[in-house]
Amino acid sequence: MQRHPMTRLALAAATWLLVQGLLLATAGVARAEQRPAAAGEPIRIGVLVPLSGIGAAAGKDATDGWNLWWQRHGRTVAGREIQSFIEDTAGNPDLGLSKARLLVEQRQVHMLVGTVFASVGLAVATYVEQVGIPTFYPIAAADDLTQRHRVPNLMRIAGWSSSQVTHPFGEWVATTTPCRRLVTLAADYAFGHEAVGGFVNTFTDVGGQVLEQIWHPIAETDFSPYLARLAATRPDCVFAMPVGAPIIRFIQAWHDLGLWGRIPLYVGEVVTDQAILRGIDPPDLVVGLISAGHWAEGRDDATTQEFVRLYEDAYRILPSYYAAAMYTAAQWLTRAITAANGRVEDRQAFLQTVRATQLQETPFGPARLDDYNHPIFNVYIREVVKRPDGRAWNVVRHTIPNVSQFYKYDPEAYLRQPVYSRQYQGINWP
Amino acid sequence: MRTAWTWASVAVLGTLGMFAPLYLPAFYLRLLTESLIYAMFAMSIDLLAGYAGLVTLGHAGIFGISAYLVGYLTARLGLPMHVTFPCGVLGAVGASLLFGIMAVRTSGVYFLLITMAQGMIVWGLAFRWTSVTGSENGIRGILRPDALATQQAYYYVILGAFVLVAFLLVRLVRSPFGLSLLGLRENEARLRALGYSVWLHRLLAFLVSGCFAGIAGAFYAFHNNFVSPDAVHFVLSGQGLLMVILGGAGTLVGPVVGAGVFIFLRNVVSLYTDRWPMVLGALFVLTVLLAPQGLVGLARQLLRRWPAGAEPAPVGSTLPYGVVSPQPLDGRNNPAPHQPTNHPGKRRR
Amino acid sequence: MAAVPALQLEEVTRSFGRLQAVDGVSLRVEAGERRAIIGPNGAGKTTLFNLITGELPLTRGRIFLFAQELTHLPVEARIAQGLGRTYQVTNLFPQLTVEQNLLLAALGLTRTKFRMLAGLPRSGPVREQVERLLAEVRLEYARQRPARELSHGEQRQLEVAMALASRPRVLLLDEPAAGLSAAERVMMGSLIRALPRDLTVVFIEHDMDLALGLADRVTCLHYGQIIAEDTPDRIRTNAQVQRVYLGVG
Ligand SMILES: Nc1ncnc2c1ncn2[C@@H]1O[C@H](COP(=O)(O)OP(=O)(O)O)[C@@H](O)[C@H]1O
Ligand SMILES: [Mg+2]
Repeated sequence: MQRHPMTRLALAAATWLLVQGLLLATAGVARAEQRPAAAGEPIRIGVLVPLSGIGAAAGKDATDGWNLWWQRHGRTVAGREIQSFIEDTAGNPDLGLSKARLLVEQRQVHMLVGTVFASVGLAVATYVEQVGIPTFYPIAAADDLTQRHRVPNLMRIAGWSSSQVTHPFGEWVATTTPCRRLVTLAADYAFGHEAVGGFVNTFTDVGGQVLEQIWHPIAETDFSPYLARLAATRPDCVFAMPVGAPIIRFIQAWHDLGLWGRIPLYVGEVVTDQAILRGIDPPDLVVGLISAGHWAEGRDDATTQEFVRLYEDAYRILPSYYAAAMYTAAQWLTRAITAANGRVEDRQAFLQTVRATQLQETPFGPARLDDYNHPIFNVYIREVVKRPDGRAWNVVRHTIPNVSQFYKYDPEAYLRQPVYSRQYQGINWP
Repeated sequence: MRTAWTWASVAVLGTLGMFAPLYLPAFYLRLLTESLIYAMFAMSIDLLAGYAGLVTLGHAGIFGISAYLVGYLTARLGLPMHVTFPCGVLGAVGASLLFGIMAVRTSGVYFLLITMAQGMIVWGLAFRWTSVTGSENGIRGILRPDALATQQAYYYVILGAFVLVAFLLVRLVRSPFGLSLLGLRENEARLRALGYSVWLHRLLAFLVSGCFAGIAGAFYAFHNNFVSPDAVHFVLSGQGLLMVILGGAGTLVGPVVGAGVFIFLRNVVSLYTDRWPMVLGALFVLTVLLAPQGLVGLARQLLRRWPAGAEPAPVGSTLPYGVVSPQPLDGRNNPAPHQPTNHPGKRRR
Repeated sequence: MAAVPALQLEEVTRSFGRLQAVDGVSLRVEAGERRAIIGPNGAGKTTLFNLITGELPLTRGRIFLFAQELTHLPVEARIAQGLGRTYQVTNLFPQLTVEQNLLLAALGLTRTKFRMLAGLPRSGPVREQVERLLAEVRLEYARQRPARELSHGEQRQLEVAMALASRPRVLLLDEPAAGLSAAERVMMGSLIRALPRDLTVVFIEHDMDLALGLADRVTCLHYGQIIAEDTPDRIRTNAQVQRVYLGVG
């Protein structure tokens, strides 16, 4: 049939030549950008954030928080200029991984910071483990990043983990409120499983009882069937954690079905984060909602409020935890680079310095790392309050100081358990 | 003449490919590797969409099942690659059998919707079955054996696999079975009235395509050392189709070119602008509007015009549901009807 | 009734809603017979063919091919039993070349059609069949042209060749001469006349002269029912047939 079967191969050849030519050309450009690493030269920091795709809004907050620190505190640390290379991951692990390699291999960055999505963070983790580059994750919350699958050169400075915040929250609800019989409702994926697992684990430790655990598809549009079922079990209280766009639909449904004020509702940190609160109109829908978080933009503290004011002046909105985390990570790195006298080329020594850095005053409160490269910080029981200017924010009702990712459990025993999942919620452990 | 030119190109291409690790920096070598993996994936989609006229939006599901199986067996159970790789491909074939049986009795929009739903089921599993798949955290640490640990070594593996897959697919589309796929696309009722069991041929096409998608998926897992729900997501199915259409459906070179362009744009253009998805979108729209037969079709038309001059361009046609249709197997026009008849047997090659 | 009939229909009926397109048709075509089916537009002739090949399911009735019941078999299985057909409205693989069209037809009943790694047959029975048919319908010069680029007459010829490619025992031709010029009609007529005598041919033809010239027997269909069945000569003079043809125009 083919009169000239080779023509197509020829075309392939031509096109690949073209593509390779382009690759080569860009490779040339990229090579030209490389500079030998030496003290006195700038310190290059690669930043991985989603700037396109569904994570773009979070990525913008993160970038803004990061840039704000350097704008306000100067781009020279220990005599060396700090250069940031911000790259788009599109929230896609393939692309995140490619960009990580680009930053490390072409741009020759000294360290990597970032990733919003856990999937991207985990994809990059295997790579950075192989090459040993100091890597910092202030946002990605997957428990196992600093637990069962931890990577020696990966530190969650200014970061958090899904269950870290809910561990004290579950215990707090069980011990300080009349709630004994609980129903949980959360997005059916790892982040939901881990956050709810943390809550349920401690809640049941102190005698609470879980009536039912409801998992909804992450992009749920209609919450009424879940809420009807939930109300029918007559719980004392509910812990809920939808994520993203469904949050507002969840809140609306909670009101519509008349559950507001009837069943006490406790929610996960992301539900009332500024990333969501900004978009809730009117804010009265969520005023009074109780959550726990490592970030509380309404915390009555000089450092926190200084950051909130700077951020508000610069961007006209209140900072989400993405912004606070990247700002604080920059603060952390500034301290560590200063302490290391700018010698970031010695990776082991630098990592050691970062690990040893303890911060008394950050927008989050005091922070330091545990033996597993994860921060120990305060967890705040927060309430959504309307400010005089009409905007809602989270103020602190109660502080649980120095919470580790293992809470009060023995780390070794804790790590022998699997990570929280639909199947394992820590109800019968310990 | 043309053959000489072709072989020269093949030689240059082969040399470039063989020595890519010598002149390409690691990052770009990685992109090339990635392009080849996606090229295999896109070719598997093209076999269904471009050749058999079955436009699927669920192929990432099959690709991802293989990637997940490989990931689970390698990273969680510690099995070696020579065991996990075939398991992944077998899993993909098994899934194709299951999905195929459900899907092949439908066609057109219904086929598209069913395959899309199948892909979503796989995604839902990957996303929600945390204890096995790790949900959005995925499975990480899918390490290659030491011999293949370097980017260079793995590139050669992928290059070899790509050449083999491309060779098999070229043979396939020129085989009697390949011809029957074109028949399916062109006029399935007529094909049935010629004694073909339409659903069986479709199922076979689905299985073969799934097998190649599975091969690509298994390589993908070892390429990224990681697999997460993005690898089974509907978006990836769509991107695969996009690569096919961009390059030219119903040709095997098309998906390869499409994959290369896609990976290049995504990785390199995104270095310069966050608006890279718009660049990609614009290119896609332009392709559909100006070169409905894809970049390869466009190149072919230009090539045809340039030396020969006056030969008319072939009339493009459109597959149902907006997917741009390929040319028939032999895309070029043929000699005028009144030309002397050569002896039949000698005429063809 | 010694010989087994090539094609036998018993009370074959098909209704579309309230319309009885084919209404209790019983028919017996002997092996080797040339049978014409005539009747005005909308009489149900094409529908009858579709019922025989299985492209439309029956409402009622039974169909036998050489005493083998086809009634519940799918299309492809009926074809495999030895049926071949052409269509009133040209029904080809438009983007494929003439040669590819014929190859598909010739491969239809072989196991070769499942070969995935072998090239298209360059020799052997399938190839010979294709070459023979190309010669027979005089389309060798057009073998590499897409079917859609053929003239209408050439497409009709290709249709016939494709129907013959699987070596059917019973050939159903649906208005093979429809839309052809006078010269092409003559060619089509001689093509049909030249078909091997052991092949049973049932053909629908609107043109009385052509039909009566080719047929051994003629069946006349009207509103889905057989109103006459006889030799061409007697059909020509059949009052009822004349009325039907004059009445409808
Ligand atoms: N698929 C169908 N659905 C409904 N009516 C049909 C269908 N096919 C044919 N018919 C009707 O059945 C009758 C017979 O049609 P047909 O067999 O095509 O006639 P003929 O071939 O004798 O001209 C016509 O009235 C036609 O409108
Ligand atoms: Mg008709």
